[in-house]
Amino acid sequence: MSIPRIKVNHFHTFYYQYEPTVLDSLEAQEIPAPYSCRGGYCGCCKVRLIDGEVEYVQESLVDLNDDEILTCCCVPKTHIEIELPED
Amino acid sequence: MSYSTFNPSSHDATLEPMFFGRSVNVARYDKQKYPIFEKLIEKQLSFFWRPEEVDLSKDRKDFMNMPEHEKHIFLSNLKYQTLLDSVQGRSPNVAFLPIVSLPELETWFETWAFSETIHSRSYTHIIRNIITEPSEVFDKIVTNEEIVKRADSVTRLYDELIELNTVFSIHGEGVHTFKGRVYDVSMRNLKKKLYLTLVSVNVLEAIRFYVSFACSFAFAERAIMEGNAKIIKLIARDEALHLTGTQHMLNLLASGNDDPEFKSIAQECREDALAIFAEAAQQEKDWAQYLFSEGSIIGLNAQILSDYVEYITNVRMKALGFSEMFPAKQNPLPWMNAWLVSDNVQVAPQESEISSYLVGQIDNEVDDGDFDDFDF
Repeated sequence: MSIPRIKVNHFHTFYYQYEPTVLDSLEAQEIPAPYSCRGGYCGCCKVRLIDGEVEYVQESLVDLNDDEILTCCCVPKTHIEIELPED
Repeated sequence: MSYSTFNPSSHDATLEPMFFGRSVNVARYDKQKYPIFEKLIEKQLSFFWRPEEVDLSKDRKDFMNMPEHEKHIFLSNLKYQTLLDSVQGRSPNVAFLPIVSLPELETWFETWAFSETIHSRSYTHIIRNIITEPSEVFDKIVTNEEIVKRADSVTRLYDELIELNTVFSIHGEGVHTFKGRVYDVSMRNLKKKLYLTLVSVNVLEAIRFYVSFACSFAFAERAIMEGNAKIIKLIARDEALHLTGTQHMLNLLASGNDDPEFKSIAQECREDALAIFAEAAQQEKDWAQYLFSEGSIIGLNAQILSDYVEYITNVRMKALGFSEMFPAKQNPLPWMNAWLVSDNVQVAPQESEISSYLVGQIDNEVDDGDFDDFDF
């Protein structure tokens, strides 16, 4: 499959460079993605997954709705579209 | 209903609600109603650390060279943290174990409280290392008016729940009068008290603790008291886990999926829950005034800390589905995140501190395509 593309609403779209997690890719693109523990349990890096699929590389211990992902815990499996929380 | 340490009935615990069902019999984890608590236990165990691992000899020198107002800030903050963990080291066990009905949740409470006792031990380790006479600090915790004032609101709901649980355990449901005092131990009132106690515990772990962490890390941002910050960093990592656990319980209860009655209780207690958040935020702001009454430190003063109180209160309320209490704002202490990251502690992976380190973990997944790049 081709290299996954990450579209971040209100920011830009870029190709995933095989960083360890989506959060790392966002940071490499200098997109101000929220985070705190990077361990899958604080829930700060929660974003909305609008389109596409992700694969979990680290277990998430947080209550998530169906359309939410923790960026510190996953990598894109297909092209994805995400939206950071407001504020 | 009296509490039994081993309920010999053969009921299936996965069909029980989290609280006030039948008491737990066999501590078995092969099937779980809420696997999330088992995951939290495993995570907490993988975090295991001991305060003695951290060397504090430089902190002693740093402390001696501090101006008086900074010593006041440092010690007062440490005293408050000592109080919070004294409460948390015992209360979850005393308050929740008699009424819990799921083995994985029961063990989570015990694991949680145990890790708090490590925190308490580390305050002794810190105080012993930086001053000659530890009693001077410990003895003043219960006589410091500012601390005692907050201790009351930290412990009030715990104590009320424990009192009701005790009456319930001996006399069962109903309204009982002893020595002129009326105790309403109807199931409804017990559940309301439990819900509000969990909210107050969440406030303790998710707001009060973080305000104190901010102070500890502010010193280390200036490259002083770094050993202390390293210990607090480990404590913060544990606390993040505990507050996730409490948020899970509260969200599960409020959804009504666990015990339908809790859905209406959560709605009924909404105002009281908001009041708990409001009271804690105000107390933390007052505390910030007291802390910096003799002078500020570089990078932190009463105003910035109060802004942080408002910011963190908003974050925590949102996590429980409440609307924000204060105007939305950016994190006024952006450097806090660097201290709250769980696994960038620079240690060799065989040391216990790195959170992602688990013994005997290998990736067994081999895909057909994995060898596509090889030419033989």
